[in-house]
Parts: sequence; structure tokens; C-alpha cells
Amino acid sequence: MTVLLATAGLSAAKDPDPLAILENNCLSCHNAHDAKGDVAFESGPIPDKIAKSIVKAIAGSDPEMPKDRDALTSGQVEVIKNWVADGATIPEGRVLKDTYVPGRDWWSLQPIEKSEVPHAGKWSENEIDAFVLTKLQEKGLSPSPEAPPRVLVRRLYYDLTGLPPTPEEVDTFVAEYKANPEGTWSRLVDRLLASPAYGEHFARHWLDVARYGESHGYDKDKPRPNAWPYRDYVIRSFNDDKPWSQFVKEQIAGDVLYPDSPDGIVALGFIAAGPWDFIAHFEVGEGKVDGRIAKHMDRDDMVSATFNAFMSTTVQCAQCHNHKFDPVSMEDYYRLHAVFAAVDRAPRIYDLDPAMLKKREDLTRAIAEVQKEVKQLDSEVKAAGGPELENTLKKIEELNKAGAGKVKKSAAYGYHSQIAKKPDTEKWVQLELIDEVAIDRIELVGAHDEYGGIGAGFGFPVRYRVEVSATGNFEKDKRMLADHSAADFVNPGIQPVEVKGDGGPARFVRITATKLAARTSDYMLTLGELRVFDGADRNVAGKGIVTALDSIEAQVRWSRSNLIDGEAPVAGDPKQAQELVDLKKRKAEILAAINTPEREKKRADLETKLGNLQTELKKVPEGKMVYAASTQFKPFGKVLPTDGKPREIRLLHRGDIRSPGDVMPAGAPALWEGTTEAFSLEKNATEGDRRAALAEYFADPDNPLLWRSIANRVWLWHFGRGIVDSPNDMGRMGMEPTHPALLDWLAATLRDDPKQSLKNLHYQIVTSATWKQASNHRADMAEVDANNAYYWRGNRRRLSAEELRDSVLAVSGKLNREMGGPSFQDFVIEKPQHSPHYQYHLHDHDDPKSQRRSIYRMIVRSKTQPFMTTLDCADPSQMVAKRDETTTALQALALLNNPFMETMSGHFATRVGQQKDPIQKAFLLVTGREPNADELDELNAYTRLYGLKNTCRILFNLSEFAYVD
Amino acid sequence: MSIDRRHFLAGLSGGFPGLALTDLLARDGVLSGTLHAPPRAKRVVQLFMAGAASHVDLFDYKPQLEKEHGEQWDPGEEVELFQSTPGASMKSVWDFQRYGKCGKHLSEVVAPLGDVIDDLAFVHNIVGKTGVHSQGTLLQTTGFNRPGFPSAGSWVSYALGSENENLPAFVVLPDHRGLASNGTKNWSSMFLPAQHQGTVIRPGAATPIDDLFPPKDSDFITPGADKAGFQLLGKMNSRYAEEREGDSRLTARIRSYELAARMQLSSTEALDVSKEPQYIKDMYGLAPEGPGVDDTKINVKAEREFFGRKCLVARRLLERGVRFVQVWSGNDNGHPRRNWDSHENIERDHGPLASGMATGAAALIKDLKQRGMLDDTIILWTTEFGRMPCAQRGVGRDHNPFVFTNWLCGGGIKGGVTHGESDQWGYKPLDPANSTQVYDIHATILHLLGIDHERLTVRHNSIDRRLTDVHGRVVREILG
Repeated sequence: MTVLLATAGLSAAKDPDPLAILENNCLSCHNAHDAKGDVAFESGPIPDKIAKSIVKAIAGSDPEMPKDRDALTSGQVEVIKNWVADGATIPEGRVLKDTYVPGRDWWSLQPIEKSEVPHAGKWSENEIDAFVLTKLQEKGLSPSPEAPPRVLVRRLYYDLTGLPPTPEEVDTFVAEYKANPEGTWSRLVDRLLASPAYGEHFARHWLDVARYGESHGYDKDKPRPNAWPYRDYVIRSFNDDKPWSQFVKEQIAGDVLYPDSPDGIVALGFIAAGPWDFIAHFEVGEGKVDGRIAKHMDRDDMVSATFNAFMSTTVQCAQCHNHKFDPVSMEDYYRLHAVFAAVDRAPRIYDLDPAMLKKREDLTRAIAEVQKEVKQLDSEVKAAGGPELENTLKKIEELNKAGAGKVKKSAAYGYHSQIAKKPDTEKWVQLELIDEVAIDRIELVGAHDEYGGIGAGFGFPVRYRVEVSATGNFEKDKRMLADHSAADFVNPGIQPVEVKGDGGPARFVRITATKLAARTSDYMLTLGELRVFDGADRNVAGKGIVTALDSIEAQVRWSRSNLIDGEAPVAGDPKQAQELVDLKKRKAEILAAINTPEREKKRADLETKLGNLQTELKKVPEGKMVYAASTQFKPFGKVLPTDGKPREIRLLHRGDIRSPGDVMPAGAPALWEGTTEAFSLEKNATEGDRRAALAEYFADPDNPLLWRSIANRVWLWHFGRGIVDSPNDMGRMGMEPTHPALLDWLAATLRDDPKQSLKNLHYQIVTSATWKQASNHRADMAEVDANNAYYWRGNRRRLSAEELRDSVLAVSGKLNREMGGPSFQDFVIEKPQHSPHYQYHLHDHDDPKSQRRSIYRMIVRSKTQPFMTTLDCADPSQMVAKRDETTTALQALALLNNPFMETMSGHFATRVGQQKDPIQKAFLLVTGREPNADELDELNAYTRLYGLKNTCRILFNLSEFAYVD
Repeated sequence: MSIDRRHFLAGLSGGFPGLALTDLLARDGVLSGTLHAPPRAKRVVQLFMAGAASHVDLFDYKPQLEKEHGEQWDPGEEVELFQSTPGASMKSVWDFQRYGKCGKHLSEVVAPLGDVIDDLAFVHNIVGKTGVHSQGTLLQTTGFNRPGFPSAGSWVSYALGSENENLPAFVVLPDHRGLASNGTKNWSSMFLPAQHQGTVIRPGAATPIDDLFPPKDSDFITPGADKAGFQLLGKMNSRYAEEREGDSRLTARIRSYELAARMQLSSTEALDVSKEPQYIKDMYGLAPEGPGVDDTKINVKAEREFFGRKCLVARRLLERGVRFVQVWSGNDNGHPRRNWDSHENIERDHGPLASGMATGAAALIKDLKQRGMLDDTIILWTTEFGRMPCAQRGVGRDHNPFVFTNWLCGGGIKGGVTHGESDQWGYKPLDPANSTQVYDIHATILHLLGIDHERLTVRHNSIDRRLTDVHGRVVREILG
């Protein structure tokens, strides 16, 4: 394998400045970070020994340095010699940087040339063959004849749909093909390309590239229940034969460029498809360095996935230094970060009509704004409170930390009303005493519950009245003992609140809350204990009946009767607890002084506004959700939506978040003649404009990489190897094309097709003689081209993990062809609350839901499906351009013993057992041909001894089943 | 043949003639017979404490914390912790005392390791990148703090292949209670060929290896049907291959079924510890009631059984030619804790886990030694990061990615030494300019295996990838 190396840098130095020469020729390896050969020139002083070695390394006719690049000119060598002779000094404070960016003189960056189709011999059926034959002849090779019809039909079904033909389909085809090969073939190709199975099959190829998974990966690996709409979008796009540039643009900026189509949003699932570090984003967040590192890595995933997938360009190599081989500078790389600076991975609404969606977004934004104002008001108040408030708050915190809030409490907490949505809902609870009493005093004790981190005084009313009545008719007959309904009452925690009695006769005591205490986002009234003392200081409350406007009866914790059960929470340290109450009282006094009527009014207004907005939002339809790139979503944990305001992106020296450089505007590398690095965006451009600019950059007809990249992938998906066999990398470190003219012809054909139809490309390929060749070995050809890089025969290919699983289901008569929708799970989730355990061995393979095609399988990252993984399924945590093909003992064991295989062997036997010649039928289903006499004898003998199910198990393990032809 | 060339061939799909059988069913690694240097070791065991084990409570003795215990910890700079804000300095939960000829201090909770202390080399100045479990774990297992890179075990398997084709070259013994952060990513082969991914074995489980045998509840697969089936398959698949000459994949596939049958026998034998003498079982801390020992509440006896059994199985696998064994202590970081993520209570959770770990690890070292295998087996003890010298809510500790401890042993490692110190609290390296990173540990292990870490590379998306990224220095100070 040869690697052509960069010849001329984009910024070739003609400068007589020695330091500039070093920067442009040496620094990419000899910087402080890499320090290749323990030599670094980033800053002075340069040790003598190293200085001398420089001259030796760069001089002469075949100099050792710079490695993999052109030698320095004699003039440059002279400049360096003089610099060394003068002491090799680098001025203090000067830090040399790598300035070398490789040039664009590389095949994949040149314009696509739709070359003349060469005149080749008779063999060719279409243009593709002409290119292939020319190459074959050039290499002294010759093509193989067409494969037999039975082989062809099986190959075509798998190639276009990933499913086997039925024996009937094979027979019909073989008969018709004999009579009319061309017409029959082209009709079958058209029919398969039009079948929904085509989209399901090619979507799998694309989802491999898109690193699509349905759980986050990393720590805790939570499921992503809304990822699948993107998968369905990909299937739909292939089936609809969407123009390629539209498919590309939708996945980068569909929301901006196709605002009227739900697909415009669903397509953004591409950006979000990769792994996501839940803990680092949700728990740590961007307020901390670790959270910012995670966010940087998260964007790196978006940037590299996008360029690897659509452009076959490895921009990620420019994260710590300029790309050493391709024309991508560090600035370019960080400009791409700026493109994605505002988006996060989050669920996003996609199916609403645009007006509703807009309304939803506007309301969500308005709510966030009001919430911000409330927060601001809070901090204003805090600031106005000055040091005294600060000290009080600090002391409260200290006491809390010291455990002043600690309580002893029984399992029965107290009384708890129903939940209210608004604080100003009136609620009451009352005690009916058995006998009339002259009440001396009443004590109210707050409840204690850790819920929402609240603790002592949980649900204690903010404003309330305490009234008594002799008759219980509070409309007419009541006496006020305490009225705290005009101003907020300081939460007493669990310190009893005493209310003086009026000495008059009373049988009913009622507490009416006029402003409820907040829980996290709703309101309620609770009380731990109610004590009523008579003149002899006896608590008579215990003998009574508690009633209330409403209550939650959640035994044993919450119940009306708990209000008078004699069990109230008690502070661990009563002295500290009292101190805490006093401090809280002081805090309330300070706040009362600050809370001017204007502020009070403002707060009330804001709360009303917030309530109204939330009510309005409830009326707007919620819409369906897709996990996608998003700027507006409900905050979760420390993940806050940017609301479209891009984060500031700085160039990071050595890729280190702690070494920020200049602020970077959005842009993309100038990979072909005529592009510029930074996008020319208006001053007031939105974040969406940035992504739209990137989408348009991709779709630029002059962009040679987009078309070469997809043409090459399509070829790979048919032949098992790319014309460029490093499909994600067409740069200098990638492979070179075996058939450059053919690649350009395919790329140009797709680009210049008004429909930009992939189906057209597939048609061209599978109707070519190249594709239809038999796969027989020819020793003389193999001598020259052992790997069939030039296509002197067809490729025998092994079924992918999905094809094999789907075929097993199809052959067993169990394949459920339901399309789309949420994925099936072939595991049971244990312990979902913290880190879900995905338990594949507990799955019931008879569940018809899991008998759907493998494309609808829920793909988990932290525990990949063991059976599929063994069969070389793609790992969703990396972009897989091309599957591995390994052959291992573990594979054999999986195919023999996996419960899925065992279950399906049973079903397969049941299916064929009902037929006249079960063994012939089974063999035909598995291989597409009749067994010969020997085979039939062997299988019959085995079946007689062990039964049909075991025979079916063996048939599933035939190489003839695992390989196409 | 260059490594790239070999990988290129091994990874080729569709191209079949000209490939030797060994390329498809690799027993050889890419460096078999062409090691960069004479090896000191042949095998590696990686003991991984999932959740982040506390260096200051186990191995890194800090008298300063005893002095300051209970006072607000003040390192003189702002500290950003994962969950909490720095609390009071907190001395080790357990007392330290000196062991062995080297006189190294060890915590009493890992006292069993005192017996082998003169074989251990400690590195107390390991630094991580972030305090996030997922990233820290991947960094230690793959050398990168994000997914997408092969595990160290996969690299070793790729380079050296297997010494026994009937067993996988890279075996993983996870905690049976759940997988650590990132799950199987910690032993994935990613862009290396899939046969180099770690094979999970669950010692003591009803089904220790997935699909090794037919489902127990199968109503038709009998041993007879199985055996005759293997034969029939061999015949039919051979015929298919013969009719398609020149395709070595088809021959390899036949062989993969033969190997599968052999693996059934050899792995069953390898995992059967029942015939081990009682004193060996005792040494490893196996419980009389076996893997079913009660752990509804975390306890020493159960943790010894769990970790000890894995260590014993590891020894049996190593004896039979497995190249790399990864042994896990601790599950996902859930509750109740069966992992080292002791935010709440070091004593409660570290106590039993450490006791189990120390018993099993010490037994493994002694056992390998008495069998003459310690000389060419490297043991690495590691974790994703350490824990802070200050308390979290009184008795727990928060994450410390700024410094933590590794120790190594056997296979060319100098015993009884300490290289690299942490500062007075165990908060950061004493000499921040000369800290040790995972790259250095990996470079050292590869070096002992006869591999130059800079030369074991595979090109992936434009970069010649290696286990040590662009870093790595062999820690010569701990080489024997």
C-alpha cells in the first residue's frame, strides 16, 4: 500500500525568517506535545546538541528531515544554518506554532471528471463494464462468465433487500430468465428496488455509518426511547429515493432548509445519533471543567461524524494540531465546532404543524424568560439584604449542615392535602372534639419529609387562619384565633407554633390555608400534629375526628388521623432547632423590609404571568418526539437549552479546554478550489444559518468529495469493498481508488442526475456484467489479483448479522414484516432506575414483536447484543463504514446454541413438517436449491435418529446458508 | 510482512484466495515471531476496581491526614469536585503498618497483600483526565477517554495471538452483579478484527460462557443429536467448500466448528475449580456455600468468594494459554453499593470489597509464583481514578482524578519498590511535572511483552492508531 505524501503546503514559506521555516516544516512533530525523537522547538533555549543535529538532518541530497515531506530548498537550509551558527535563539516569550497545512494536490480534492466511457470489448453490458474491462485488460486479466440464474437471483435479493427469495420466486425467475434474460432481469431489479425491504436494507448500511444507537452509552447507559423516528426517516428516504443532496442537507439543517416538512427535524437525528455521556452532561454540566470537556468531546463527535460520513474526510485529526496530511487546519476544525455550537442532543418535537410548533416554542421561551425574571428578583432581594442577610443565610446553612435540621420522627408523618397546581388554592383541615372545650391554647407542629429536599416544616401553610366554632358551621359561627392570611408566615420547621385560645366554648378547630406551601413544582397543605389544650393544660385533641376539604390517605405516612396521633417530629437538638427557627424568623424580617410593595407586586405579577403561560402551553398539542440536535427543550439535569444562542467557540491549543485561543467563527475547510474557510454570514445570522451554510457547502456542485464519497459507498454496499477501500477517508492516509475513472463516472452520474437517484445507481450496478459474474476461483487470475480488486469474478459474500437473523426468521416462517415504529427489545431491562441492566438471556424469542427485521431492533451501546456482535454486527459507538468478516469458534457456538437459533429451529421444523417432503422443502428454503441424492440420504438418516428439529438446526449452520453462492 | 499489511489482509472481506488459514482463525498475532524485543512476560492480568478505589485508604499512606483529621481541608487552591465541595480532611479509615523486607505501608484492610508486598511495584502518581466514571474507565481500559478504541487486551491479543487455540486469547471476568461504566466497551476490539474482543466468562454462573452449550431447556438437542450434528455439518460444509476451491474462508468455517467442539471441552475443564485442593480454595477465600453465598448486605465473606473465584479461574485460564485476563471488582455505580464508588461511606463499602480483592489478588500472586508463572505473567491493579483526601458528608469520599495509585507485579517488574509519589494529602502528584499516566503503564506492559508501543499501530480513519495514542514512556524505574 503506497501513501502519497503532501508535497506543497498551502502556506509554503518563502520567508527568510528561520523561525517561520521551522514553524512550517518542523513543528507538526517537534512541538512540546509530540516532541518526536525527544526534539522540540516550541520555545527557547535550544540545547546545543539538538541545534547542531538540525543542520545535519536537513542538509544533503537525501535529507532525513522533514520526514514525509519535500526537502527544504538550499536557500532555506542556508537560513537555518546561519540561525544555528548565530546560537539558534528563539526570542523569549515567543512560542512557535505549526503553520504547515498540507495542500490540495490530492486526487480526491480535484474536480470530478466525467471521463469518456472507454471502448472496451464485447463483454460489457453497460458503462460500468467498459471501465472495469479496461482495467482488467490493463492488468492482463479477463472477466468471468455470468453466474447461473439460481445464483443470480439469490444474490440480487440479498443485495437489494437483505432477504432471501422464496423457492417459488426462484423457480419463476429461473424459468422466465431462460426465455427472456434482459427483460426478466430488469423487471426483477425494478420490483426489488420498489419493495419496502429495499429501504430497510440500505438504511442498515447508512445507520452503520451514522453510528446510530438507541441508548446513550458511557455510564448508566439510559435508553433513548425517541431515537427510532430517525431510523424510520432513513428507511423512508431510501425507499422514496430522495435526491442525495436533499438527504444530506436535511440531516445537517433540515429544520432550517425544509421547515415545512416534519422530515426536516427528524433528519437531525443524524447529528444526535452517537453516544452521549449522560453523567458528564446531566450531573456535572458545563459549570465545571469536566462538563466542558464532555461538551467539547460531544461536539467533536458531531463534527467528525458529519465529515467522515458525507465527505470521507477526517477533520478530527486537526483537533490538537493542523491535519498532518490533509488540508484541514486547526482553525478549520474549530470553525466546524462553531457550526454546532448551539445544539445539544435532546428530544425534539417534530410532527406539529409549523404554527403550533412555533406557538409551543414561543410559550416555552416566554416561560423561561419569566422564570429568569423571578430569579433576577430573588438575587436583587438578596443583594439588597446586604451582609446581614448574607450572614443569616450562612448561619442557617451552617446549622443545617451541623444537623440542626435533624429530627426524630415516627413513620406516621401527619396530614397531607391533595396536590394543587397553584399556591392560592384554599384548603382546610379541622378537628372535631368529642366534648366542647374552653380552649386555652393550640399548638400546630409542622411535618417533616425529605421529599424535594424540604425537610422540616414540609407543607406548612404560607398564609393561614386558625378558627374555632361551637357548631362546626364555619359559614356563620366562627371565631378567629389567629389570622396570618395577609402576610407570609415564616416556616417554623418543626418548632410548635402556639395559638392563644379565647377561653370560649369550642368543639371545632379549623386551620384554613390561604396560600399553600410549594413542593417542587406544585403546592399542598400538610401538618404534622395538632394539639389542643384545655384550662388544665391537658391535650384533648387525641379524642376527636379529623376532617378536611381533601386529603391524601397514604398509610402509614400520610393520613388525617395522623394529625392527632400524639406523634410529632422532634428536633435532635432542641436548642439548635430553636436557633434555626429564630434565624429563619430574622431572615423573614429582613426580607419583609426589603420586599417593597413594588417588589411584592412584581413577584405577584410574575407568578400570575407564569401560571397563565403554563396553562396556555398545556392547551397546545404536545407533538411527537425525536431524539435529535436541538436548541429548545425542557431543561434536564444540568443540560440547559441554548435557545439558539451559540456557545462561544475558541480554538483550543493542543485540544485542551484549559488553553483557549481565539474565538472562532463558523466555517468549514476550503477543501476544493473556490471555497473559503469562514462562512460569509450576516452579522445577525442565527445558529440555524450556520448549519444551513454547512449544508449548502456540502451540496455545492463543485464539492468533489460529497459525490465521490457516496458513489464509493454504494459500490462498497454491492461489492463488499470500495473503489476506495477506506470509505470514511479519501485523504492522504486513506487508500487510493482502484478505478478512479469509474468512481468519477459514478459520482458524476449521480450528481448530474436531476433526481440524484441512488436507485438509478443501483440499477446500473446490478445490471452490469461486472456484478453478474460467477464467483468461481481461477488460479491464473488469482495469481495476479488474489483479492479480486479488479473484479475478474463475482464476490461470494457472507450474510451480515442482520441478514442472517432475518433469513432465519423468514425461513422459519416467523418473520414479522411490520414496518416502522418503536424498536423491539430482545432483552429484559433489570434495575432501570439507576444503570439499566440489559439482560438478553431473559428474552422470550417467541415474542412476535421481536420477530421483526433486525433493523427494528433496539440497539444498546453498553451491552451490545451478544449473538449479533459475534456475527460481526456494527458497534454503534463508532462509525462503521465496512463490516468486519471474522470466522471464529464463538460464531459457530452462537449459530448452534443461541436460544434464538434453537427456538427458530423448532418453528422451522413445524413449518416444513406439515408438508409432503419436509426435508427437501427445508433444504430448498435454506439454500434455494433441491438437495442431491447423497445429501437427502444423509439428512434422512439423521432425521430418523434425531428428529426434524435437529435437522433444521443443522441446516441453519450450513455454509451454503451463511454464504450467498 | 508489515503490521498494516497483515491487518489489511485480515480485515478484507470478499477477497479469499491467497489468505492463509491462520489469517482467518488467528492463533498467531501480527507480531508472533517478530517481536520488537525479547519479551520478559507472556501474559497479563488486569485487576479493575470499578467505581474508583480510594488510594489513601488502601495503598498510599498519608500521615498528614491523621494530623489534620477533622479540620477543614485546605490545599491552598480552589478544588472542583464531582459531587460535593471539599469537606474536612479525613484520615484513612484503616490503620497502616509496614510489611515485608521493603517495609512498605499497607492499610490493614488489604493486609493479605502484605505477604507478597516484596513482589509489588507501586506507582502513586497516576493522573487521569476527568472525574467522570465513564471516561476514566475507558481511559484505563482503552487508553482513550471516549468510546471507539480497542481495549488493551484486544491490542495484546492482536499482537501476540493465543497460546491455545481452544480458548479465546482475551478473557473478561466481569462482576456478576452488573457491568461497570461503558459495559462491554471496556473489552471491545472496535477497529481491530472482532476475534480480538474480550470473551466474557462468568465463573460460577449457570451459563459461564454464552452459547457454549445448547439451552438447558431445549426439548430436542440431545448430546447424541449434537455430536452427530457436528459430524454431518462437517461433511456437508466440506463438500460445499470443495466445490468452491480457493476460498479459504469456507475451510476456516469448517475448522471453526471443530474448534467450537474443542472449546466446549477445554473451557469446561478450565472453569472447573471443584478439583482444586481445599488449601487452594481457602487461599483464594472461596466460601463453603460457593457462588450462591448471601450478599443481601455487603459482607467480607461474599466479596472474598466473588473476587477469589475469579482470581482462581484467571489462574487456570493463564495456565492454559490465555493471553490477557481482565478481572472486575464492582458493578455499575448503582445502589446499594456493590462497587467502589464510596461517596457515602468508605468503611461500609470499601471494607468488604478491599478485603475480597486483597485476598484474591494475594492468592493469585502466590499461586502463580509457586507454579513458576509469576516470572512471565504481569499483574496490573488499577481503577478509573482515586478518591479525595477530604470527606464527603463525613464518612464518604468524592472522586479524585488528580492522583491515584496503580500497582504492578510479576513478569519483569521489580518488586518492593515505589515509583512516583503523591503529595502530602494524596491529592495531586508530588511532582506534577513528572506524573505517570495510563499511557506509561500501557507502554511498560507492552515493553515487557516485547512490544514497542510506538510500533504496534493500525491505521484507522487517517491515523496510525496505537494503544498509547501519541504518548507513553516505559516506566523503567519499576523494571527488574
